[in-house]
Amino acid sequence: MDRRTYDRRIMIAMGAYVAVFLAVWPQARGAADPWLKGLYALTPVVPLLYVIWQMAQRILQSDELEQRTHLIGLGIATVVVSIVSIVAGFLAAANVMTLDATSVVLVWIFPLLMIAYGLGRSHAARRYGSNALCEDEDRMPAYLRFLCAAAITGFIAAYVYLRTGEEQVSSTLLGMACALAAGALFFGIRRWLRRRRSAAAE
Amino acid sequence: MNNHLRQLREQRGWSQGELAERLDVSRQTVNAIETSKYDPSLPLAFRISRLFRQSIESIFEPGKE
Repeated sequence: MDRRTYDRRIMIAMGAYVAVFLAVWPQARGAADPWLKGLYALTPVVPLLYVIWQMAQRILQSDELEQRTHLIGLGIATVVVSIVSIVAGFLAAANVMTLDATSVVLVWIFPLLMIAYGLGRSHAARRYGSNALCEDEDRMPAYLRFLCAAAITGFIAAYVYLRTGEEQVSSTLLGMACALAAGALFFGIRRWLRRRRSAAAE
Repeated sequence: MNNHLRQLREQRGWSQGELAERLDVSRQTVNAIETSKYDPSLPLAFRISRLFRQSIESIFEPGKE
């Protein structure tokens, strides 16, 4: 599986996740039957399982150096999630802070793991002279990936605000969308500068 | 570990991508080996040695400890 195919499949799966999350998951609260409630609540997990399966396939098909960078990334992500969990757990147990374990903490573990994994792998790839984020010419450019993620997150923020009027959730999502858009701008400018520099060198 | 992979590749007029294809690895892996940022596994070292028809010791040499 080449990287463009992988990126395209992940984008489609994440789009499906957003669609399911917006269309199916809200019905879980209103469903009377506990089985139906559970089914609605767990439907967004299906596209996420597909994403995990795609990641596993890609790691299995990659060469030894790439597998090593994945391993380092996963190691870093494990350490980050473990430390954040234990620190938050101790603070909550000592009543220094309050954590809503059911709806806030558990939902954020997977995204935190993925972010730490991505950053950890990027760090490992740089150590070996390449860049997991944007230098590979055979995959979708990083600025485009960040732009798509920003658009999707911004769309969800607008949807949540317009549908529920919940300011805290929608402003958190909007902040994430802005951070992703800033990332897209950074990678876009870096790509443009590199292209200009290489054109000038020729 | 130091190596002569870049010289051997250039002698044959191959790009990093072409060598990567022959070794069934990514271009980044070839680049990392050439710049001594990554030491290949024993199976990959054997594939390199077979491709260039040279012994592993003549391609790779231990660096300063």
